Amino acid sequence: MNSSTRPPDSPVSTGRNVEIDCRSVTAGYLGSRVLHQISFRISEPSIYVVLGPNGAGKTTLFRTLAGILRPYEGEVFIGGEPVDRQSSRNRLHYLTHMDGLPDGLTVREALEFFGRAEGAKSRDVDRVLDQLEIRDLSAKFPSQLSAGQRKRVSIARVFLHERSIYLLDEPTANLDPKVAREIRELILKLSREKIVLYSSHNLYEAREIGRYVLVIKSGQISRFDRIENVRGSRFILGIRVLQPSPALAAYDHEGDYYLRELSGPEEVPSVLRDLMAQGVQIREAREMENPLEDLFK
Amino acid sequence: MSEATNEYVSRSLLPVTVRRATVTGRFYLVYGTVISLLLGVVLAHFSAPSFASSFPLFLPIFGVVGSMGGLVVFTSDRTKGVLEYLLAYGYSPRRLFANVLLTTVVLVSIVVGIAVSASLGAYSAEGHSVTSTLAIGLGVYAIPMTYACAAFASTVGVYWTALASPRQGMNSPVGLIPFVGILPALITLFVIIGIERSGPLSATSLLVVLGSAIGAVATFVIVLLGSMGRLLRRERLLSAA
Repeated sequence: MNSSTRPPDSPVSTGRNVEIDCRSVTAGYLGSRVLHQISFRISEPSIYVVLGPNGAGKTTLFRTLAGILRPYEGEVFIGGEPVDRQSSRNRLHYLTHMDGLPDGLTVREALEFFGRAEGAKSRDVDRVLDQLEIRDLSAKFPSQLSAGQRKRVSIARVFLHERSIYLLDEPTANLDPKVAREIRELILKLSREKIVLYSSHNLYEAREIGRYVLVIKSGQISRFDRIENVRGSRFILGIRVLQPSPALAAYDHEGDYYLRELSGPEEVPSVLRDLMAQGVQIREAREMENPLEDLFK
Repeated sequence: MSEATNEYVSRSLLPVTVRRATVTGRFYLVYGTVISLLLGVVLAHFSAPSFASSFPLFLPIFGVVGSMGGLVVFTSDRTKGVLEYLLAYGYSPRRLFANVLLTTVVLVSIVVGIAVSASLGAYSAEGHSVTSTLAIGLGVYAIPMTYACAAFASTVGVYWTALASPRQGMNSPVGLIPFVGILPALITLFVIIGIERSGPLSATSLLVVLGSAIGAVATFVIVLLGSMGRLLRRERLLSAA
């Protein structure tokens, strides 16, 4: 574990209780090891984006934290208790990458099924049907729903109960942009008081909602840091303008964007000021490359 | 949101699983019940001796078919990731397997209850009295063997489902397990036929053969259930990552 493995304002430094304590965990399937000696601790309520290439071990990490897979080595503590204790399980919600909707039950019945398994009340189901705007789907069976609707119903179950930890494995995969944004907003609200571990392949989404990034490569944590501390190897500023201008003659061009490599984001205000002083009417300015992409290299 | 404070793993999945099994496995349930019912009623109407000798032989076969709903639900839940949620909620694999087995018992009770009561009703309505042969055939062989075969099929099916790659349809364990489930009944019949070739089988010998067969199946099921923790790891219940 390198020095960036622990968030800068970790519970150890702030005096918070450690909610997730993963100690030298090695885990996998049928003896095949996927995670290798993973260690990290989390206590600060926030969104922790878990990134990694396919097969890196993200889902295995979530399953191990949820107590579904038992580590071959090491231990996982949730709220100070071993994860296989019921009191630990009662502290977390786990959303798999699968929809996980039971056959033979309508949407409402499916939520009642999961709610009953957790001790939710009927009014909780009603509240969630309204909160996720799925009341009109409540009498339908999963086979009658679109992929986006199924995902929405699947996500609804994590709102049946309040927990301190939410493990969300690709919650916005296969959703249209509107629904994905709504789901992100719900998760953002959730993260004000809760710890949310959120895996995604969408680097722009990760950057938009995450405060911390936890990168897994080949079953090991290659980086755990604040997202704002993740800098790309280069910073490319892209500018769209209302009218072409000679002031942009030295810029590279890609589609509608004029490109310029800067030393870092702190240089952006002065560059924009100079351009505006030369009469350039700027419509949009953005970083063209996502620094999180470098984490995959 | 309400804060959950209860130990939710104490909550039974059986009622909802039975309901789901009767919905998703309705074809099996209806087929098993209707065919065994029709056979019983038709045999009772046309030939009382045939009813007494044949109906107890048919019952286990259609009982197994009718009780496939529990396995259908288990296979679907594994493929769709529902079992993963239940494991995360704290349900143990053994508890999930026991849930399938109990669901199977409920379903087979529906088939047996309807088929036997309606068939015996039709038999009595035709003016026949229940002979000792029929009583032994049903009470000692057919009904216990139906439960034993259904439990055998369910337990083997759970193992098969968990050990095979996730799949559904006729090539899945659900599609093939009815053929496996009736094996104990068929083997028992072949043993009885084989013994009878060397001479008439006494009532005592018949009871010994039937009791041994049911005992063997029950032992097999109990051993498999007891070995689940060792033979089937939790990751066998997960959908593909």
